[in-house]
Parts: sequence; C-alpha cells; structure tokens
Amino acid sequence: MNILMGFSYADSGEASVLGYRPGDLRAKERIGFLPENFAFYRHLDAEALLKFHLGLSGRKVDHPSVLIADLLATVKLESYRGLKVGKYSLGMMQRLGIAQALLGDPELLVLDEPTSGLDPAGRKDVRDLIMALKAEGKTIFLSSHLLSEVEHICDRAIIIDRGRLVRAGDMRELLADGDRVEIIVDRLSEALERAVKLRGASVHREANRIRILGETAQKRALAEMLWTGGSDVLSIAPIKTSLEDIFLKLVGVGDTE
Amino acid sequence: MKIRIVAHNTFGSFLHNKVLYAMGVLFLVFFLFGLFNVYSFKHMITASNALQMQQHMMHDIANSIVLLYGLGNLLAVWAAADSIASEIKSGTILAIMARPLHRWQFLTGKYLAVLMLMSIYAMTISGITYLLMSLGGQPFYIAGWALVFYPLVRYAIWAAIAMFLGTFLNPIVVMSIVAFLLSVIEFMSTPMAVNRIPAWIQMPLHLALPMSTFVLDESRFFNMTQAALQRYPWTNHLTALTYGMNYALVFFLLAIALFQRRSLTRD
Repeated sequence: MNILMGFSYADSGEASVLGYRPGDLRAKERIGFLPENFAFYRHLDAEALLKFHLGLSGRKVDHPSVLIADLLATVKLESYRGLKVGKYSLGMMQRLGIAQALLGDPELLVLDEPTSGLDPAGRKDVRDLIMALKAEGKTIFLSSHLLSEVEHICDRAIIIDRGRLVRAGDMRELLADGDRVEIIVDRLSEALERAVKLRGASVHREANRIRILGETAQKRALAEMLWTGGSDVLSIAPIKTSLEDIFLKLVGVGDTE
Repeated sequence: MKIRIVAHNTFGSFLHNKVLYAMGVLFLVFFLFGLFNVYSFKHMITASNALQMQQHMMHDIANSIVLLYGLGNLLAVWAAADSIASEIKSGTILAIMARPLHRWQFLTGKYLAVLMLMSIYAMTISGITYLLMSLGGQPFYIAGWALVFYPLVRYAIWAAIAMFLGTFLNPIVVMSIVAFLLSVIEFMSTPMAVNRIPAWIQMPLHLALPMSTFVLDESRFFNMTQAALQRYPWTNHLTALTYGMNYALVFFLLAIALFQRRSLTRD
C-alpha cells in the first residue's frame, strides 16, 4: 500500500494506480487514503484539521465549513468538531481519518487496517461506515488482518503472504471453492462407508450419529447413495467456509506474516 | 498555495513544540542577563570611571546579544530538522503526502515556516539590541536592516543544512553535527587558527564552511561605527548576503533530492 501511495519505492516489479505511476498527483487527486497507525496534529481541532487537508486536496468548494460539517456528521463527530484532536479516542481518530479521506470526494478509498486497535463497538461503527460508502458507489481498497471484516466488506480479495500473492479472486468464488456439506445419518454399513469415501467424503462416527462431510457438488449423489443403501438421512446442511479457513489452508497455521 | 498551507500549518506546530519552548526560556534567561548587566553597570558608573564602565557594559551587552544570536542558530537547526523528523515519526506525514502534493512542495513549505520563525526571532533580537543599548545610554550606529538580514541569512543556511541532514538523521544527531561545525567556524576565526593553519587548508575551509561573515558578523555589531559600515558599499553587503543564500539554496536543493527518494514510513 505504501508503494501504491508513493510513500516507498519498489525494488522490483511494476504498479499503477488509476492508470498512473504510484504517487502521481493525478491519481492522488482521485484517491482518499486512510493510513495504518496514522496521526493527526494534536493541537488542531477536527474542523481546522479538515480545512488544512481540504486545502491540500486542491478541491474547490464554495462553502468549506458546510462540507466539513457534513463530513463530520457522516462519521458521527459533529458534536466534537471543536475538540482538539489530541483528546480524541482511538475510535474517534479512525472516524476522523475516514472523514479526511473523504474530503476530496474520491472515487477510490484506500483503507489500511481501518479498524485496527478498535473495540468491537468501534469496529462495527467503522465497518458500517465503510459499507455505507460502498453502497454509495465508492470503490474500497481495504487491507486488513481481520479476515471476517474483509469477507464482510469486499467483493474481491487477494491473499498475500510474505509479499507474494497466494490467491486472488471474486469473494463468492473464493468462499464457494471450499464449500462443503454435512450429512447426518443414523447408521452406515461398511460397504456404504467405502463407497462414500470413494466420492471424496469423510466419515466421522459419533455416539448416536454419523457425520459425513463431502463436497457440495457431491451432495445429491451422496444423499441418494445413502438412501438407497439403507441409511436414514437425518439432515443435510451446508458448511460455509470462511476466508480465514482458506487463508490458513493456503498459508498455514502459525506461519503467517 | 499548497506551499503556503504547509508553511502556515508548520508555523502553527512550532508554537506547540516543547523543545522550542525550552529554547524560549533560554532566550529569556539570556535577555534578562543582558538587562541585569545594563542596570548593574548603570548603578556603578561614576564621573571618574564612566569610560571604563561603559566599555564593560558594552562588552557584556555584546555577550548577551551574541548568545541570543547563537541560540538562534540552534533554534533554526532544531526547527528545520524536527519539522521533518517529527512528521515521519508521528505518522502525520502519511495523510499529508496522500494528498496531491509534491514532496518538494512539502519541504519548501517546511523551510518557509522555519524562515518565518527565524525572521520573527531576528527582528526580536534586533529590538532587544536597541532596547539594551538605549537603556544603557549607548550610542548605536548599526543599521536596523543589517541586524535582521545578516542573522537571517545565517539562519537560512543552518536551517537548510539541518533540513538536508534531517532527511536521513535524527534531529539530535543533526544538532550535534551543527554544534561541531559552529565550533570549527568559531575556531577558524581565532588568531591562533589564522596564524597556524596553512593557507592551503584555510582557503578551502572558508569556501566550504557556511560563513557569510566576511563583511559583518554579530560580534562586530558593537564596535562597528556608521563610518566603518559605510566603508563597504551596498554591493558588498548584497554579495555577502547572496553568497549566504546561495549556500542555503544548495543545501536546500540537496535536501529535496534526498527527500525525493526516501521512504516516508517509520520502518
């Protein structure tokens, strides 16, 4: 992200942002950026800070105060507009960060760990705000270690491990890839178990039931095989894979960066 | 426009910088030291020792003023080096540089803010000089513009050097390097250095070190008469000041070149 914003330079490879070199001013005019672990001038209040950033954004506005008041209302900070930034909580800072990212009316919002360090309520607030912006038609480029958040917000995802791209794709496809189904039966003969396993499913015998985990694509075939084989199918339920499962499968437990 | 916004904001930040406040306290101490000397000598003057006491008074006032001007060097260095380093260390630079702003614009804004601060500082000392001299009942010949512009050019040089070093060094290290350079310059102007160091070493050092003092330096403000000042035509002053500004410009451009390639992140 630092390379894309022009803060650092790449040792190798190529990158472009909105068709321009990283750090190009024409691209930056169309980007709103929320850095990770950022800070604002502690001696300024929210209004002065946003005025400063509005000036730097180059956006011409007839009534800057009205725009700033609207943005502060969007991030629910309107009642703290006169408070010095140094007195803001972490959650308030993140929301103010989002307000400054929105100042230039950007097409693309680049958010680096927007909920890092927030409590659950603060995380929800920021997440709801991002969802609202997405609904408005803004493109959100989000970097996060909270994979449930990525799964919830993003339509496409890429998984990067130690600077290398491990997996990329549409979120639905990524999640569907690992989708499995759980079939519960009351009994299972040994011959039927072998046949089920031949279809790639696994069998887990428990105290008063037997769990069969198979690919979603095999759901119908497995169910018919079990019925005709004499097993009573008690339930069939999909098991949704999470992005976290996929990540751990691709990268490995305790070996991530 | 964007440069002005950065400069204005940086100047505002200076007013909340604790180190600069500490220097302000030191400034006050030096000023009070000068004031104390003026009053104590005034009370000791009699008809028989008037000339001798007045010389003592001039000497002590000069010391206070030279200390204040010297403190200005450190103030310029700290303000310039810290204005970049603190932005990177705190992370405030990220949100700023995410804006459509060139790195050179950012650095120019910072530098202008330092010059604004140092202009106020130089004017304040100029005022203090007049105040102390008039309180001491001393005639004062030096032109006001010289009291402001010569130090200001010197501060511009040190600020540019500090900005250059500050793009890759910690401000405290920058202060140490500058303090060392100032000592070398001070030493170079002593009779011992002039007499003992061979000319082939002195010459390149005079060219390389940031000295804009060959026409007028602070220590000579008090024994310089109007006639002596007028001995130098205005073109000499202009050359001296331009030489100093040229020196500052070279270092400032070097700072921009280095800053252009450095990473803005803390790691």
